[in-house]
Amino acid sequence: MKSQRLVNRSRRKETRTAFAFLLLPVTVYLIWIIGPMLYTFYLSLTEWDMFTSPTFVGLANFRRLAADPVFHRSLLNNLKWMVVFITVPIAAGLSLAMVLNRKVRGSTFFKASFFMPMVLSLVVAGLVWSWLYNPAHGLINTVLRGIGLPQLARGWLANASTVMESIIAVGVWRQVGYVMVFYLAGLQSVNKDLVDASRVDGAGSWKSFRHVVLPQLAPITTVVIVISIIDSLRVFALVAVMTDGGPHNASNVLANYIYLTGFQWYQMGYAAAIAVVLFLLAFVFIVFYLSRIAREEDHA
Amino acid sequence: MKRNRKLVMAALTLLLLPAAPFLFAGGQQEVEDEKNVIVYNSFLSDPDARVVDEALVEMYQDRNPHVTVVHSIVAHETYKDALPAYLRAENPPDVLTWMAGETMRFYAERDLLLDLTDLWADESWDEDYTEGFRELSSYEGVPYFVPTNYYWWAVYYQKSVFEEHGLEPPETWDEFLEVCETLKANGVTPFTIGTRGRWTAGGWFDILNMRVNGPEFHMSLMDGNESYNDPRVLDVFENYWRPLIDNGYFIDDAAAYSWSEAIPFMTSGEAAMFLMGDFIRDAYPAEYEDDLGFFQFPIIDPNIPVGIDAPTDGFMIPANTRNPELAKDFVAFMGSLEAQEYMAQELGRLGTHSKIDRSILTESQIQGIELVESADVVAQFYGRDTHDEMQDRGYDAFVEFWENTGDAQRILDRLEEDRVRIFQ
Repeated sequence: MKSQRLVNRSRRKETRTAFAFLLLPVTVYLIWIIGPMLYTFYLSLTEWDMFTSPTFVGLANFRRLAADPVFHRSLLNNLKWMVVFITVPIAAGLSLAMVLNRKVRGSTFFKASFFMPMVLSLVVAGLVWSWLYNPAHGLINTVLRGIGLPQLARGWLANASTVMESIIAVGVWRQVGYVMVFYLAGLQSVNKDLVDASRVDGAGSWKSFRHVVLPQLAPITTVVIVISIIDSLRVFALVAVMTDGGPHNASNVLANYIYLTGFQWYQMGYAAAIAVVLFLLAFVFIVFYLSRIAREEDHA
Repeated sequence: MKRNRKLVMAALTLLLLPAAPFLFAGGQQEVEDEKNVIVYNSFLSDPDARVVDEALVEMYQDRNPHVTVVHSIVAHETYKDALPAYLRAENPPDVLTWMAGETMRFYAERDLLLDLTDLWADESWDEDYTEGFRELSSYEGVPYFVPTNYYWWAVYYQKSVFEEHGLEPPETWDEFLEVCETLKANGVTPFTIGTRGRWTAGGWFDILNMRVNGPEFHMSLMDGNESYNDPRVLDVFENYWRPLIDNGYFIDDAAAYSWSEAIPFMTSGEAAMFLMGDFIRDAYPAEYEDDLGFFQFPIIDPNIPVGIDAPTDGFMIPANTRNPELAKDFVAFMGSLEAQEYMAQELGRLGTHSKIDRSILTESQIQGIELVESADVVAQFYGRDTHDEMQDRGYDAFVEFWENTGDAQRILDRLEEDRVRIFQ
């Protein structure tokens, strides 16, 4: 009885300490994340130039969004970015991880090299690639002209038809090494006995990869996909540095459009409405994806 | 238990550590409260301009040793974004650089600027500045701004290239097209331009629209009172601008370059001309500068008044400055004949003061003054004369037209939709 009370008391103390530790982060979270988020929702229903107080306009901002070609273009670009991001870097990163996970000569060197782009700041990466893409003196066009393919040389960032793909390529270049590192870590925990057993049972290397290794990497894949979705929806720096959304909005993305609307034209209400759409978009994709994963795990 | 408490304390201390600088910042606040300090923020961030700006602050300090000027120079684009925050702050900077005309009136209209009527009277600027400059500095007849310097837009060209091909600066549209054709035939691209920053395309729209439809129509369009899909605007796009682009009178892939990245095409001899403001000299390589000349954009219709872009910069004081008298004193110095002559000599911009001694100016500055004075109407620039968002839509439209010259009608129709919404 007495000992029970002692345990209770110490547990209560533990709880109190836990709350003391949590108090500050939770307060900070409420003030700096939840508060501004709710405020953004409110602002999206107003018209506000940051000088006078906001006036309530109902859903007018969202009606304007529906008819705004720049918003449509930016949204489409974000989706394009997302489709590429959840396919190319994941396939390439996984392949690299499979290859470099073997004890081949120089694998450490290659691992480091493929991860290097991730270490560079986005602004630096954007600037370096802007130079590579320079139509007159850039490395890419110079090489194309040098190997007798001048018809392929073009103004990569200057034409509406190539600009978005050119920027996404830089994003992919950065992302591949990042995804590779995730999978390399995941491969450490793959049960080797299972792989060996499948080989003994006559599975080829593709079959054992497809049915034994890949299922064990599923948790990593989930994390990588969620990260890729979030990364592709919040792209800003590469676009801002390389083209600022140009030419004529061909490479604009939602985050850059929010910045322009809010901080250059002082239309905070409209900017908030775009932000709300961006938030809902991320939210819907991630909830949908995670709930599907959860359901699959229940079935398993 | 004791260990626990220690841990909590340690964690709290760590978490609070980032707040430490703010505690110390309180001390600085007190200094700023003092009556003899003014905070001056400026956007003169180009290397040459920065040196001149700092030298002027030093001159003021030497004469007013009891005053401390806290001077920050902010990059031009960042400054533009930060300005609303500066103006609305409870303790704003006391003196700010800015641009005359519509961009200034936007803030005057929102009661964010200090009324400078008495300063204009005390400094006898009412007489020393021309009516045009006073009008540019005023909102509803009240001056809120002090213009101190301006520059002109013109066609800059390489004299040696013109000489080599036996060309003279053209004065009419036909002569202009002939110059372009001759250069093209000799393997020289007539014009360089970098439209990545977009506004360079705005310079072309301004001058073509003013030459074809007259400055009065142009300013009315800037004020939102004319339609963008008006046949007169379409005429500019289809019959004047489009042939220049379609004939290959501009360098390829212009949208890939910033305005200063377009300069090397000129110095390397690949291109011969550049429609630009006189600040081109701030970025033009010194060893080529002697070869750089400029001429007025050719006259297209001799029957309509001549317009020119000549943007004016200067100073304003936030309405809730805590030190209005000292701020005005500082601006009075910056607007004085002495400060303007110094700036004109060191930086090459033109002073706004009508009593500036012209003997101290260079030949090119005199030519620039004559260019501006011979114009019937002085415009600021597309981005300064029209609404902020309209400017952005307009620039996008110009760059889109550049890539799709056959789409003028569609592009202008969409621009018209934007105009109706923005100026409603």
